Amino acid sequence: MSAVPIAHPARSPRPIRDDKHRHIEIVASRSQRRARPRLLAAIVTVGGLFAILAAQLLLTIATSDGAYEISSLQREHSELARDQQVLVETLQVLGAPQHLAAAAQEMGMVASTSTAYLRLADSVVLGAPAAASASSALRTAPDGSPLIPNRLLTGVPLSGAAGQAALVSPDLTPVEASVAGAPAGPEGPASVPSEQPAAIPSPNTH
Amino acid sequence: MTRRRLALALIAMIAVFGIFVVRLVDIQLVRAEELNTQSLNKRAIAVTTYAARGDIVDRDGVVLAGSVMRFDITVSPKTIPTNPATFTRGSGENKATVSMEQAAAEIAEITGQRPEEVLAVFTEDPESDFEYVSQKVSTEQMRAVRDLGIPGVYFEQRPARIYPDGSVAGNLVGFVGTEGPQNGLEFTEDDCLASTNGSSTYERGADGIRLPGSTVTEQEPIDGGTITTTIDHDLQWTVQQMIAEQALAIGAESATASVTEVKTGQLLALADYPSVDPNNVSGSSPNNMGSLAFSTPYEPGSTFKPMSAAMLIDQGVADPMSQVTVPYRWVSPEGSVIRDAAAHAEQRLTLAGVIQQSSNVGISQLAVRLPSKMRYDYLRAFGIGERTEVDFQGESAGLLSSSWDDQTKYNVSFGQGVSVTGVQMASIFQTLGNGGHRVPLTLVTGCTHADGSVTDAAPTEGRQVVSEAAADTVVEMMETVVTGGGLASQLQIPGYRVAAKSGTAEIASGGRYTSERVVSIAGLAPAEDPQYAVVVTFVKPSTMKTSAAAAPTFKKIMTQVLKTYRVAPSSTPSPDLPTTW
Repeated sequence: MSAVPIAHPARSPRPIRDDKHRHIEIVASRSQRRARPRLLAAIVTVGGLFAILAAQLLLTIATSDGAYEISSLQREHSELARDQQVLVETLQVLGAPQHLAAAAQEMGMVASTSTAYLRLADSVVLGAPAAASASSALRTAPDGSPLIPNRLLTGVPLSGAAGQAALVSPDLTPVEASVAGAPAGPEGPASVPSEQPAAIPSPNTH
Repeated sequence: MTRRRLALALIAMIAVFGIFVVRLVDIQLVRAEELNTQSLNKRAIAVTTYAARGDIVDRDGVVLAGSVMRFDITVSPKTIPTNPATFTRGSGENKATVSMEQAAAEIAEITGQRPEEVLAVFTEDPESDFEYVSQKVSTEQMRAVRDLGIPGVYFEQRPARIYPDGSVAGNLVGFVGTEGPQNGLEFTEDDCLASTNGSSTYERGADGIRLPGSTVTEQEPIDGGTITTTIDHDLQWTVQQMIAEQALAIGAESATASVTEVKTGQLLALADYPSVDPNNVSGSSPNNMGSLAFSTPYEPGSTFKPMSAAMLIDQGVADPMSQVTVPYRWVSPEGSVIRDAAAHAEQRLTLAGVIQQSSNVGISQLAVRLPSKMRYDYLRAFGIGERTEVDFQGESAGLLSSSWDDQTKYNVSFGQGVSVTGVQMASIFQTLGNGGHRVPLTLVTGCTHADGSVTDAAPTEGRQVVSEAAADTVVEMMETVVTGGGLASQLQIPGYRVAAKSGTAEIASGGRYTSERVVSIAGLAPAEDPQYAVVVTFVKPSTMKTSAAAAPTFKKIMTQVLKTYRVAPSSTPSPDLPTTW
């Protein structure tokens, strides 16, 4: 409680109203006014603080939300990666040469041992084409197992006659169904598979 | 406010403050470690990120050895319901109570075990927290078991190795056992193939979701590099099938065949019979797990003669027209006895004829025109007596003695008294076909690391062993074997000029030669500009002991090689070198 100098108002020539509820205000001096912190600054600061806190809260919520999303996406990604791996594995095993050769033989194809080429530029046959015979078929070990084994192929089905039948288009009726084989045109190879022993079925080609 | 009240208030404040400080010090300093680890254990999870072991691929990028992820089904017997031993599955209308026996049966059906086995794992040790139900199951099986929703059953990842082509190139690729790579390229190239698993820790909330920003990666996963081989997998299978069929037909104990690209020294196919299926290692005999073409030397026999002739022509002491008089049995000036394979009357042969008729006497008479030391140096230059640059696991250097007695100096000229491996033979014919320039054999071209950088493995510097003229002349002389020799009809490939040499070598055992044979044919095509060298060998055939046993297989393999690589048929006929005088 320091003594504050109170300026006694001098009697003014104006008549003084007898007002009990006269409001007395201390008017601050100019330097005091300047020293006082601005209201706007205060509002801005506190408001800014609240805004920052609010923003942080929102960001935290968004991040946590993101964490859930990341978790579910990661799960999805690993499941899809597993799917892909299963498919790639299946593809690699089906591409094994033993499987391809056995599947081809199932469809009636054996490897030819003659060196004959068809030059597409001028349709000239180079070399001496000779028909493949049953002796070109793959031989197996005495116990029937493949000579070049692959344990991954156990249980993998070959395409077989059932698959082959499905491939033949139903609306095209083969004219010479009994004589299977490639047309013996002048450019075609001299071999006609119909001379083959019945053991090797030939696909119906056109 | 009196002074006293002020003081009291101050004391009260300090007291409360003091309690807080003490508590703070206690938590933050005294019990800090313990509390930290407690909280971290409850939240932090260590994770191993598996990195894939590198692939081994063939020259076209087809995978010969690949990495896959398999799963172990594990159970925590402590956490499976025991009293009652049931759990509920499904919700609403589909709710069903499933007993653990039924669950075990369901698992067994998927994994192919017996239900009792699975149930035994569940119930054997009720206090255990970890037991294996089934190991190395496939992804589909794991998903099926997971969908059963059995409490207490968990999965672990287990990286595994598959070999999609099976025993095609099985001897070369090798295999991986439980303790790491055991054999073949898997073993020797492990530096490139091995991967480094990543490890990281993260913290998770009570609901199992990763706390954002909490992942600390201690080690990044590094995938293994890819090894690229020079093998063509389709050709490899074809060659393996062909030698296997013939080996069975003639009752041979084993067989090897190699296809080498003459210009580059790359091994396009290197087949062994019998061979191991890396997917089924326990199904093969331990003797068959290496590569015989690398590891097992043999006395080659007459397939050495073209090399002997090349030395003579290179030194200018003989040419295809050099004349010799060849009896069936000849005694050398030193008293050594040389005999031809089959009895015959005295023949007048040129050097070309000696090659065509495969006369031991003829080549012996001519070979000694060069000093033994020079011939020894030539043989070493051709790569005999040292391992090839492939440096395969278990590769043998063969046997070339550095001092020759009076019998050996003749025997070596026709391939007895010296032993070579299948790949050394391939290298000899690569040299002869490449104008006398020996290019190192390569099986692995390089390692492609996960970051894309390539480490080249193959040394490619070659050396000129004999002159181009000498090598080309020898190839022309070998053509006479195909055009007019005893096996001509079985070796000819219509449309192509083929050069070949047959060999029927005796196998030595216990200090003397036995009646067992190693039959082989080695050849080059197309002879006017050789591109491919094929060497086929059958060891100890029982039904046909001459090189006629190997001839049809050589023809089939060479035909297949010419077709695979689209070699144009020869436009010029074989030169008709005179074989007699």
